[in-house]
Amino acid sequence: MRPTAALLLHFLCLLVPFCGQAQSATPDAPTFPTTTAEGFAIPQPNPHFTFPRDHGNHPQFKIEWWYVTGHLYTDATTSAPARRFGYQATFFRQAAPLTSTTASPSAPPSAPPTFGDAQLYLAHMALLDTQTGRFLHQERLNREGWDAASSTTTLDVRNGDWSLRLADPADSSTTPALLLRGGLRADAAFTLTLTPAKPLVLFGEAGVSRKGADPSASSHYLTFTRLRTAGELTLRTDAGTEKLRVTGESWMDHEISSSQLSAGQVGWDWLSIHFTDGRELMLYRLRLRDGTADPASTLTWIDATGRTTRAAHTWEVIDRWTSPATGATYPSRLRVTTTDPATNQSVSLTLEPLARAQELTGGLGGIPYWEGACRIRDASGRELGSAYLELTGYARDLKL
Amino acid sequence: MSASPPLVPLLLSRFALRHARLAPRQTALLVGILALGVAVFVAVRLANRAAVASFTHFTDTLTGRSDWIIQPAAGTLPEAVLPELRAALLDQPVAIFPVVETTAARVSASTTQTRFGRASFTLLGVDLLAVANLAASPESAESFFARRTADSGSPADFWTAFRRGPQLWISPTLAAELGSARTLDLVINDTVHSLPLAGPIPTAPDAPRPPASLLILDLPHAQQLAGKLGRLDRVEFIVAPGPQADARRAALHATLTALGENGTRWLVTSPGARRETAELMTRAFRLNLTILSLLALLVGLYLIFQALDGAVVRRRAEIAILRSLGVPENSIRRAWLTEAAVLGLAGGALGLALGWAGAQVAVRAVGQTVNALYYATTVDSVSLGTSELLLGLVLGLVASLVAGWWPAREAARTPPAQVLVRHAAASPGAPLLRSAWFGFALLALGTLAAQLPPLRFAAGGRFPLAGYAAAFLWIFGGGIACGCLLPWIARLARPLRNHSALARLALGHLAAPSGRHRLAVAALLCAIAMTAGMAILVASFEQTVQGWVRRSLQADLYISSDGAQSASSQNRLATTTWRALAAHPAVAEAGVLTAFPLTLDSTPTMLTGTSLRLLRARSDLPWVQPPLDETVFDSARNTSLALASESFIERFRKKRGDTVVVPTPAGPRTLTLAGIYADYGNERGSLMVERDHLVAWFGDDQATSVSLYLRPGADADTVRAELLRAHPGLAAFTNASLRAEILRIFRQTFSITYALEVIGVAVAVIGLALTLISVLLDRRDELTTLRALGFTRREIALATAGEGTALAACAIFGGLAVSLALGWLLIHVINKQSFGWTLGFALPWLPLAALSATVLATAWLVAYAVGRWGANLPADREE
Repeated sequence: MRPTAALLLHFLCLLVPFCGQAQSATPDAPTFPTTTAEGFAIPQPNPHFTFPRDHGNHPQFKIEWWYVTGHLYTDATTSAPARRFGYQATFFRQAAPLTSTTASPSAPPSAPPTFGDAQLYLAHMALLDTQTGRFLHQERLNREGWDAASSTTTLDVRNGDWSLRLADPADSSTTPALLLRGGLRADAAFTLTLTPAKPLVLFGEAGVSRKGADPSASSHYLTFTRLRTAGELTLRTDAGTEKLRVTGESWMDHEISSSQLSAGQVGWDWLSIHFTDGRELMLYRLRLRDGTADPASTLTWIDATGRTTRAAHTWEVIDRWTSPATGATYPSRLRVTTTDPATNQSVSLTLEPLARAQELTGGLGGIPYWEGACRIRDASGRELGSAYLELTGYARDLKL
Repeated sequence: MSASPPLVPLLLSRFALRHARLAPRQTALLVGILALGVAVFVAVRLANRAAVASFTHFTDTLTGRSDWIIQPAAGTLPEAVLPELRAALLDQPVAIFPVVETTAARVSASTTQTRFGRASFTLLGVDLLAVANLAASPESAESFFARRTADSGSPADFWTAFRRGPQLWISPTLAAELGSARTLDLVINDTVHSLPLAGPIPTAPDAPRPPASLLILDLPHAQQLAGKLGRLDRVEFIVAPGPQADARRAALHATLTALGENGTRWLVTSPGARRETAELMTRAFRLNLTILSLLALLVGLYLIFQALDGAVVRRRAEIAILRSLGVPENSIRRAWLTEAAVLGLAGGALGLALGWAGAQVAVRAVGQTVNALYYATTVDSVSLGTSELLLGLVLGLVASLVAGWWPAREAARTPPAQVLVRHAAASPGAPLLRSAWFGFALLALGTLAAQLPPLRFAAGGRFPLAGYAAAFLWIFGGGIACGCLLPWIARLARPLRNHSALARLALGHLAAPSGRHRLAVAALLCAIAMTAGMAILVASFEQTVQGWVRRSLQADLYISSDGAQSASSQNRLATTTWRALAAHPAVAEAGVLTAFPLTLDSTPTMLTGTSLRLLRARSDLPWVQPPLDETVFDSARNTSLALASESFIERFRKKRGDTVVVPTPAGPRTLTLAGIYADYGNERGSLMVERDHLVAWFGDDQATSVSLYLRPGADADTVRAELLRAHPGLAAFTNASLRAEILRIFRQTFSITYALEVIGVAVAVIGLALTLISVLLDRRDELTTLRALGFTRREIALATAGEGTALAACAIFGGLAVSLALGWLLIHVINKQSFGWTLGFALPWLPLAALSATVLATAWLVAYAVGRWGANLPADREE
């Protein structure tokens, strides 16, 4: 799961009366109810996905997001050293509560309305310039309609002038190229081509990623763990406009669910690592009120071929940072200790943020969170790769 | 002298102040006159400003301020432009903000009587969710759909509110007015809607306060209510804040202009330009009012001059003493000017207070006129700004200094050896002002000025500057020439002298009139000439409009939306509604009219479609230039023909046979002007084409109004009642009630003019009293002698009354003569140049006679009263 969704969930759950109350006769039974109390679908085991359709929108589910994070680099020239950037581009969809007057959620309207009221689209963009330490972020909220929509046949989601789509809408291969267009007000814009280096990874058991004891709190969690990235980054200041050729690596989650929450969870931590050896790691921690992690928290290794292995982990905060904007105190340097499935040895992974101030201060979504580019070192200080870390629920409890 | 206190303050306190104390009523009167003059000007200025300020670009309330706006030259934009715009602007960070706007009116309280001018609203439809993305208002979406208050923080309200259907966000002003009401009943197009109130409009702290008449809806609901499904009135653009904003704004303008295809798809404008257009549209009207408002001040100027001059004469003996004591000329002049300045400031200050009070009344009259002629206004109050404060004081000061200049000079020039006897000859006034030839020269100059063309502004505004100059030259010249008539009157009335000593007494003074007599005549003439001239204009206008109404209104019933309450109203009748009206069994034939606001050469005008055949057959269109043949009336052959109103011709400087390119959604159409008709309903001018073509071009079959011709025997009132029962959102006029309503609106637009004229005449009559007072004060010796000779108080009063009445008669005679010229000027030059309406000349005998009689009678009464007071004057009372 992408805990950043917490942000959206928080926003949505403030708005939705039935949020998190799944229809479930016996909560402890490992059976999956098929719909929530409202009538939205609950992820079922062993889903049959077809592509490119399932890269697209699933309106029978209540919540869906497409979540890209990555690291970008310019080439060093004789006159200037290489520059490094971190970026985030997130597209959320949220369905309106089903009412007696609305039709079944799976039946999309024949023609999309210009000003619809059945779906909301929220998007977040962020960019870190490591050279200047400048961190930009922006949110956008739109109704489904002329300026925000997503396709039910392929990957094509957009919000204003930001969009994420397949380079070839009909591409049914396991590694289709993606086009991402994003920006930050007038200050920055990027157009990137994302090419999967490995096939899509399905997290969770039997295609269902559980978020807690409640069986309805689950998602289909589809990820391109490593996307070779190339494109153009435009930086605008009053002094002039810079157009930079950039290359790098990105990560993209596509998560589909109708409820992601269990009682007692106050926040989420999420981490993705690109190791220089071609492997990746994904970790999510669901923090409980008493400070411990929910047993549903998971660490997963992805090997060079895309195979996943789970491993136990410990989580240790080395340093903290307090945001001057929101007053929230976030972990700043972290140590995650786990077992490397390749060697069966314990490894200690230290996360160092490329900048401490990578907080999205909240606005439309209502809550602040920290999401930022990091580098990873082993116990001896050797750099192992780059990471993206997400920390939510530190500004205040995500009370549900 | 150097050790003594400064001289001028000493002079003021020992000399001027003493006089003021001794004659408090006279001083008060003088201040009062000045105040009235200033008040009228300030009131009109405040009302004008309020009327213009009320033209708000409504979206500013939500967006801060849009950078650019695109809107079609006529009609609406399809929604499909939105994705097209987004695709074209992918590389330009900008918020695209579609807007639907329409008007609505409160439901009429009375069903039996239909009137225009009820409270109307502007309904603004914007995407209330997307508003949140604008930097100006990050909290707006939350506040529009889910208000999180401390106690009722149920955010589930979001979806409930978001999906509830049409609901209104209202201004805090309206919210206060409506109190605990949950819904607002509105007429929109042809339907009455009872719309739920969602709450007050949330605004950013630095955004302009929402105007009381603004109602906000979510965009799709506004489309639905306005009958504009799939259509937009305009799209606004807000460039993202950040670096290179000016360059990006310019680039956006270039892109939008290119996409607009030379104005044929849309015009690119800005909120500032829209406001400017509104200002320009009403500029002529406001300038005309301002000029009229100066009348009272002008009359007041005469009077102040006269009062100060009188004071100089009366105090001449004292001045002579001061001069012989060695007081220099300069100090005396300064003391007098200071006195005038103090009077002026006092008058200005009082005038401000009066003007503010007057503006509260005037603003409604101005607002109604602007509403009827130009656009919907919502003036509820006016406030006094720093500029008005300054202006009022400066006006009072300048007026009194200008008027006091000559008397101060006279005072300073008093020779020390001036005889210390009281009956110094009354000042005969400046030689130039006594010259009849000078008067005639001014009259001739005015005649020349009347021949000059008007000033032209952008957006079709025109201002007849030379025409006004001519009017002033005539009024001044007439005043001077008329003063020279006084000896003639005395000579003409000589036979009377043989009958009565009183008459001899009265006429004796006129035979050798003092400067003060001349001034009183000139002031009164000024007021009478302008009032009578305006009365002639209004009478001519009214007669012309009545004739026009009689000829062009031939149908039995006129039906429009009850929501249409202003010249800019956008309310329509749906196709089903007007078809239902036309299909009523009592209806023989129906004339359907559709009007679109149209922008040509950045100048707003109207494009109207109706059946030209029916127009020809059923009504007697008043032609200015009739079509040369019948082609234009044949719908099979008139696709590229149009009829133009006279105002249109004036505004766009066209003539019959010229062509006009009209942008339509179906592409530009080149129309040849086949004929020109008179139209007094609309100052913007209009083009009239065959409605079938208009419907095809605009793809819009709704109607603005429908005129019904009933079958013989059908009763219009019965049919009207039936139709209104079936369609409660309609306004229906019978032929007679529409005519009456048109004339009512017509008179209403002149109401403020009348008020200004009445004030002018009142000031002039007060001035006459002031003249006589000072004349009598000068003649205290004579009065004593008369009393000694056995004249009673009543006889002296009668003699004074005779003198005053003769002055008034002289002014009335001259004033009426000048008013005829002014009437001609107003009708054929000023009105024609400002509004482009040809009017027939009509002389309102009765009002003019009434005006003359009133002035004469008032003059007699006032003079008699002054005479009675004067008869009691002690021989040697100081002043």
